[in-house]
Amino acid sequence: MKKTLQKLSVLGLIGLGLMTVDSVKAQVDSDTVKVGEVTVTATGLTIDARKAGFGVSQIKSKNIQTSGESGLIQAMTGKASNVQITRSTGDPGAGAYIQIRGQNTITGSNQPLIVVDGVPVSNSSIGGGPDGVVQQSRLNDINPADIADIQILKGAAAAAIWGTRAANGVIMITTKKGKSGLHIEFSSQLAIDQVNREYTKQSKYGQGSGGAWAANNALSWGDRLADRSGTDQVDETGDYFLADDGTKIYPIVDKGDQTVYNDANRNQVFRNGTTWNNNLSISSANEKGGVYFSVSDWNQQGIMNGNSDYRRTTGRLNFDYNASDKLKLSLKSTMAKVSSNRIQMGSNLNGLYLGYLRTPADFDNTIYSGTYYNAAGEASFGAHRGYRRYMGDAAPVYNNPGWTLNRQVNTSDVTRFILTPEVSYKWMENSTFIARIGYDNSADQRITYFPFNSGASTSNGQYGESVITESELSAHFINQSSHKISDNLSANVTLGYLATDRRSHSIGGSALNFIVRDQDRFAFNNSTTENMNPGVSRAQILNNRVYGIADFAYNDKLFVSLATAAEQASTFSDRFYSPSASLSYELSKDVEIPTVSYAKLRASWGQVGIAPPAYIWGTNYVSAGSASGWGEIMDASYYGGSIYRSTVRGNPDIRPEIKRETEFGVDLKFLDGKISFGATYYMNNIDGAVLAVDVPASTGYTSTWDNAAYLSNRGFELDLNVNVMKTDDFSWNIYGNLGSNKNMVDSLTGSNSLFLAGFTGTSSRAVQGQAMGALWGGQWLRDESGNLILDANGFPQASPEEGVLGDPNPSWRGAIGTNFTYKGLSVNVLFEACQGNQMWGGTYGVLNYFGVAEETANEVTVSAADAANIKNIYGQSIDGLAAANADGTYTVRGNIKDFGAGNVLLDQAWYTGLGGGCGPVAEQFIYDASWVRLRELSLSYQLPASICKALHIPGASIGFTGRNLALWTNAPELGVDPETNLTGVSNGRGLDYFNNPGTKSYIFNLSVKI
Amino acid sequence: MKKFRILPLALGLTLFTLNSCQKDIDTINQENPNQFSNADGSLMITGAQMANVLFQEGEAARMAGIFSGYFTGYDRQYISYQQYKMTAGDFDNIWGTLYAEGIAQCKIIKEKATASGNTELYGAAAITEAHLLLTASGLFGDIPASEACNDEILEPKFDKMSDVHNYCIGLLDEVIPSMTGSSAYGDAYVAGFDWGQVASTLKARALLRNKDYAGAAAAAANGVQMNMDLKADHTQETPGAWNLYFDFLYWNRGGYLSCDGAYIVGMLTDSIDDGTGTMVVNPQGRINDKTQEMGRYDYYFLPDYYTSLDPNMFGIFYASSHYDLVTYVENELILAECAARTSDDATALTHLNNVRDYNNNMFGGFAAYDIADFGPGAMVDGATASDALLQEIMMEKYVSLFGQCETFNDVRRTGNAQGVPVNIGDKLPARYLIPQSEINARKNVLIPSEGTDLFAPLEYYQ
Repeated sequence: MKKTLQKLSVLGLIGLGLMTVDSVKAQVDSDTVKVGEVTVTATGLTIDARKAGFGVSQIKSKNIQTSGESGLIQAMTGKASNVQITRSTGDPGAGAYIQIRGQNTITGSNQPLIVVDGVPVSNSSIGGGPDGVVQQSRLNDINPADIADIQILKGAAAAAIWGTRAANGVIMITTKKGKSGLHIEFSSQLAIDQVNREYTKQSKYGQGSGGAWAANNALSWGDRLADRSGTDQVDETGDYFLADDGTKIYPIVDKGDQTVYNDANRNQVFRNGTTWNNNLSISSANEKGGVYFSVSDWNQQGIMNGNSDYRRTTGRLNFDYNASDKLKLSLKSTMAKVSSNRIQMGSNLNGLYLGYLRTPADFDNTIYSGTYYNAAGEASFGAHRGYRRYMGDAAPVYNNPGWTLNRQVNTSDVTRFILTPEVSYKWMENSTFIARIGYDNSADQRITYFPFNSGASTSNGQYGESVITESELSAHFINQSSHKISDNLSANVTLGYLATDRRSHSIGGSALNFIVRDQDRFAFNNSTTENMNPGVSRAQILNNRVYGIADFAYNDKLFVSLATAAEQASTFSDRFYSPSASLSYELSKDVEIPTVSYAKLRASWGQVGIAPPAYIWGTNYVSAGSASGWGEIMDASYYGGSIYRSTVRGNPDIRPEIKRETEFGVDLKFLDGKISFGATYYMNNIDGAVLAVDVPASTGYTSTWDNAAYLSNRGFELDLNVNVMKTDDFSWNIYGNLGSNKNMVDSLTGSNSLFLAGFTGTSSRAVQGQAMGALWGGQWLRDESGNLILDANGFPQASPEEGVLGDPNPSWRGAIGTNFTYKGLSVNVLFEACQGNQMWGGTYGVLNYFGVAEETANEVTVSAADAANIKNIYGQSIDGLAAANADGTYTVRGNIKDFGAGNVLLDQAWYTGLGGGCGPVAEQFIYDASWVRLRELSLSYQLPASICKALHIPGASIGFTGRNLALWTNAPELGVDPETNLTGVSNGRGLDYFNNPGTKSYIFNLSVKI
Repeated sequence: MKKFRILPLALGLTLFTLNSCQKDIDTINQENPNQFSNADGSLMITGAQMANVLFQEGEAARMAGIFSGYFTGYDRQYISYQQYKMTAGDFDNIWGTLYAEGIAQCKIIKEKATASGNTELYGAAAITEAHLLLTASGLFGDIPASEACNDEILEPKFDKMSDVHNYCIGLLDEVIPSMTGSSAYGDAYVAGFDWGQVASTLKARALLRNKDYAGAAAAAANGVQMNMDLKADHTQETPGAWNLYFDFLYWNRGGYLSCDGAYIVGMLTDSIDDGTGTMVVNPQGRINDKTQEMGRYDYYFLPDYYTSLDPNMFGIFYASSHYDLVTYVENELILAECAARTSDDATALTHLNNVRDYNNNMFGGFAAYDIADFGPGAMVDGATASDALLQEIMMEKYVSLFGQCETFNDVRRTGNAQGVPVNIGDKLPARYLIPQSEINARKNVLIPSEGTDLFAPLEYYQ
């Protein structure tokens, strides 16, 4: 199997005329192991990995598929050094954030460029804030089973010809082509997903405040359940709520029920998610060409027990045809239809976790929908019942989770296709011309629907629909020629021209305050004119570049590559140049080193950039309206309309950000290639990162666009592979990678700190002298030596000024795995670790506020003397807050803590004030978010040939993959997988605030060759 | 050499394609297809007034209300406000609305109006600017005004509170003559007001803060007349147009802001909870033989909705209730206070009775006071009749301006004659904090140091 691949690669090289015939011969004659390792360069063509003067990570097809991930991005997790993948949540189809060698920009995208079969494609993830639903990444539209391999070009030199799109690295994806003969393969996969980490909730105290039960109260600071009578006393004479199942709920006169509903409420929310994934591929090739055909269907029901699903149906036809020795034609084509329904999350009164986790222990969420009858017997249909309004007589402040899961609709329907025709003509013996067109088009139709009586501001019904269309058309012309300069020196010259036209268009509208309230309709005519809001937005960016690359090979051991690209784009006015140089020296050809079978030194330097966003040259005049941080709006469109100057100042002098990177590396093989080891060190700086710099609002602007920030990254990458043992039947291999990146915002003109994502009180920011994404917010008041300044009662106080609280970037990230095969049986285990990163546990802080966290239900018993001395934040002593026990001691709900001036009582007054997640001090909820996890455990068994023969099939395998089966963290009180991010694929990191949870999966595979 | 024939070919092809794309590349991003590149001043004024309404009626008024005993912060971050635990970041949004969406637009409109000779537009913008700056200076003290919102100045200096007030008075004086009798360019407000009257009452407000009673009375003499109030228009019951208190109290942040335990509640009731659950006679109660407050109580407060007593989101703060910005009642009470403080009790009583008459029409239960109703042991108790009258004027103003920022100025100006209790500690807050965003973005011209201390008194209220 492996040999075939190598041969194909070599044929490919020859066919493309990439190198002189002599050198190919030399390689074929020498070590076949080395020849097999090819690298896809930024042009989409392959070169011998030996020649690369920069570090590249490669991920093979098999490793993508065994991961069992629906998304290509997630499937790359842990498989390449310094490639950090962070999934947003465990929602089906959720996007993920990719970060290669740290952050390179502040407000632009830090996502790498994705190039599939030589053409750029979209990896956008549009939307994703602190509320709403989690969005997909468009890269995940690609069927992972179609991937032949992935090359990750991390450094500036490797990616330089992509100029202003290359600063975040380039992921080069190659899809499969026809294999010689005829291969038909069917595989089927069943996956079970479960929530992988949950919050525990206290079960001792009921709804209410100040130790007393109160209906509809937000808090769980009510009475002790154990002290209750046992049954609720209700008033059956007046109004009532009639549930859909016929249950009647009456107003409670006296709360006596002691039942704890935490489990029932939990089971309302979660289920076992299931996924069926079926994939059929047909592959065939002969000397005239080949074809690869596949269809796949991924059909997933999420772990959240309601409208949470993801279905992706894809088709692909890759075709290549050798019209003559010189003329080759190919077409890569794929389409995908992706439909999903998502659950509202985050800082969102209609979100799942917010309503679920805040529910008191003594409230049963099971009944959420029905009809409310008032005392006069008049019915209100479509009533919504939740713990903030248990009679359902009006919409509750927070949704009942049942309503969030089953009544709200948040669909996304995506149609995507990518076409890549290519022609290659060898017009001279040493020269080949390639023309390649790429067209990537996607349309995402999204519906957001809140039925009448949804919680809070959507209580009169809200409906929104939009269609987001994105396209990229690219034309790429390449000429490659090879030249023999002398016996020892040869050169390959590549000249290219690449033009792209990217467009996006979004059109849609929203309707509020429904007219018809008891039927779900996705129609704008269910609102009056003043409650309908249409919207449209369009953008186009043109970009073209010419480039030249000269690759010199001296004595087949010293390789030098020089390249430069000149680029123009519609978003900046001056030309942008991206020169690069790289050097690779195969030391082992000159020096014998014991046990070392191969040694290569490499060094490279390159300059790339990030283009500024479109339309920031001028200061716009925009529709007038003012909004506060609390949601109130004054919208001039209700007052005859008004257009006024934007609060963001444009800048006609904006230029691309410039990233310069130097890297050094070494690749070594020991013991005849049994051990291979690669190490890379790099350092880069980013000059003039574009951002809307905060300016004093008293200037009349809140921000101004500028090349205002300077960032730097430095770090290292290690990759290791050890073939411990290899016999005909058995092989054992250990592999691992480690990456470390230190990012720094070196300077930030005009501002000390810049908001990236989050909330007024806690945010992820760019702060001068800190790593990007620094957690920022309210902190304790401290003296100059850092000690808390306590108030008269011995409690710490909030500082009036906010500051840096933590760093969400890991100090290192790595993975180690091992792979055994014995005959047909193969076992793969992959552990992954991420260490030194911090996160804001916003959810946990708020659960303290609400009295839901277990910590808040603690009871302390103190002596009478202590009870007289120990005070709460209001200065009330314990003996004034609780009655004495029979033995003279006092028992009170809360915790005793000494901040430095003696013991104090942390009770409701503390948790609902300074000590809770709604107070001004976010500092106390910053946690170490390091983790280690068993990322993947997979077993597969290749049926023996004898059985296959009996079944009349060429081959078959069965397998099991467990994903995310174990997780170890340092903050056990956080009931969330620290690999989460509230603001999705944004540059703000490390925030948790009622994010939907993560998952673990058990995946069963069957694959049959027909 | 044959080998290099590729070069001219590739070059030719490239140049050809480059040329064809060149024009689009240069032009396509010059203008934003989704936005405009300029607008006439007359199209901008409503936008500036949106900011003014949000500023006067939004977060700033709620905070002032908590500091003034109108409201209790009851839930989430508002509990911290109740405890005076404000951080500088809490003021970022208010400040952005004030300057970038308010004052900046007013200054641009003034320039455009000057260029086109449109004096009414100029006047409307100038009065809006003064309205914003006066409210802001009353809350923040020293603020940027003379150098604010000038494209050439990157870090505007902070003007002293007195300079800001004088700047505003100058603006108002400049336009009062031309704006008297006009209500042009006032789409954000309920029709029927008169810019000249509004400007005069604003000027009176400014002078009163500086204890210039004669000046304030002279300005107020031309101030807002009966039924000529400036009110934010909330006719349409939809988010974006409806009452902002309603939005906050009912729609977006139910239960955050309460009147449970608020000082003003006692003003309008006979008896209060003494803290142990026992109802006792309320020493601050205003109810007497000539004054019944039940009507006003019901209009202001709503029992048992989100909290045991909410600000009335179905009364004074209902979705379509207009919000008082500059009113006849305030103007009359400025006149009354100025007269009382200049020993003209008869005039003071006349203006107070004008307000009581207004209240009687609005709520019922008010009869005109006689001077004999004031004094030791009289219906309105006090050391002297004059003292009692002045105190009654202050308290009537306190109750009348429920939910408005200006009361916080009155409380500090009079050394808390209203008797507003302190929520925590031993002092009422003295100012708003200069926002974190303004601190962060400055490198050279720093903010005044007292701007970071919630309890540092303002220039006028030392």
